[in-house]
Amino acid sequence: MGVIDRLGVGIGWRAEIDLTVERLPDVDFVEVVAENLHVEHLPESILVLRERGVPVLPHAVSLSLGSADPVDVHRVEHLGSVAEALGAPLVSDHVCFVRAGGLDSGHLMPVPRTRDALDVLVANVRTAQANLPVPLALENIAALLEWPDGELTEGQFLADLVERTDCYLLIDVANLHANARNLGTDPNRFLDEIPLERLAYVHVAGGVETDGVYHDTHAHAVRPEVLELLGELRSRVDPPGVLLERDDNYPTDTELANEMAAIRAVLARHG
Amino acid sequence: MTDVARERLAEAQSELLAALLAGGPSPAGFDERLLRVEARSLLAKRRGIVAMLAPEVVDVLTDRFRPLFDEYALDHPRASGSRAREDAAAFTAWARERGELPPVAPKRWWRRNTS
Repeated sequence: MGVIDRLGVGIGWRAEIDLTVERLPDVDFVEVVAENLHVEHLPESILVLRERGVPVLPHAVSLSLGSADPVDVHRVEHLGSVAEALGAPLVSDHVCFVRAGGLDSGHLMPVPRTRDALDVLVANVRTAQANLPVPLALENIAALLEWPDGELTEGQFLADLVERTDCYLLIDVANLHANARNLGTDPNRFLDEIPLERLAYVHVAGGVETDGVYHDTHAHAVRPEVLELLGELRSRVDPPGVLLERDDNYPTDTELANEMAAIRAVLARHG
Repeated sequence: MTDVARERLAEAQSELLAALLAGGPSPAGFDERLLRVEARSLLAKRRGIVAMLAPEVVDVLTDRFRPLFDEYALDHPRASGSRAREDAAAFTAWARERGELPPVAPKRWWRRNTS
């Protein structure tokens, strides 16, 4: 895989669980939300992990690379400076938009899966790549709605994006489950269509189903269906890394350790 | 890429966010039920962030926090580039102006701050 090598099994570092992340056994790598960090004042816990040699990968949520608006280069430069401060081998954001018409959605919105939207995304991704010191990986999001008149499946859309920009993929199996549940995406077809050789790592997260809608909350336990999809992915490719995301309603250290152990068990069973 | 593609996309994305965040008309071709689910989800996320940033306001408003915040949010969709802290401060000011929160008391230097 070259720049990425082997990452192992990791967890999303959050300020609320900094000590937990430090003392959990077998944390091979962590991810930080880039927008929450200031290069001049990195959290002590992050520095401790870096001293131990744990890779820390910046993950962005605000580049809005699927927006029709031009790329905000300052946001890209901030992400790049965080990567340099952490000695990170790559950075990531999402295939989505958050800003349009002067408004901010506050959450990741799907882009239309049309050739027009893909052209705009490709141009924006190239601009971001030209302003980043390390490779960029892009993640599939959990969408609650679908644009009309889609011309490509989600898998085809991502495959074309990779082919035209040479970006890496960050595949979130919980988001894949969410889209299967809420929008009828076929997860096997998705996995067949994406270029798995460009997989940087995988996200696993918890969620909850209410009124027939699966919500990707990152605040509930990881559901068995999501681990099944991880197994499905593992049976096709050995991912360089798998990372557990938990952003709210934090459980005990033991529960987080158990979720990481469950991820390792799935990887071993389907390997 | 053509500028036309960017313009078409800009229009479609603006229309969708206006519908989801500011009570604008539903854009053609979308599932109405899913638009409502998405709008509620975005509102809940925004409300949750403000509640986390301004717990003292939630403590005062208790049950009124949710309906008041939802009313505020629809009339004040978050502008591009604005920050969550600004949103929390703007909601607090809005609620205070409407008499839902007590006016700001001048700080007295001899009073120990216990909050």
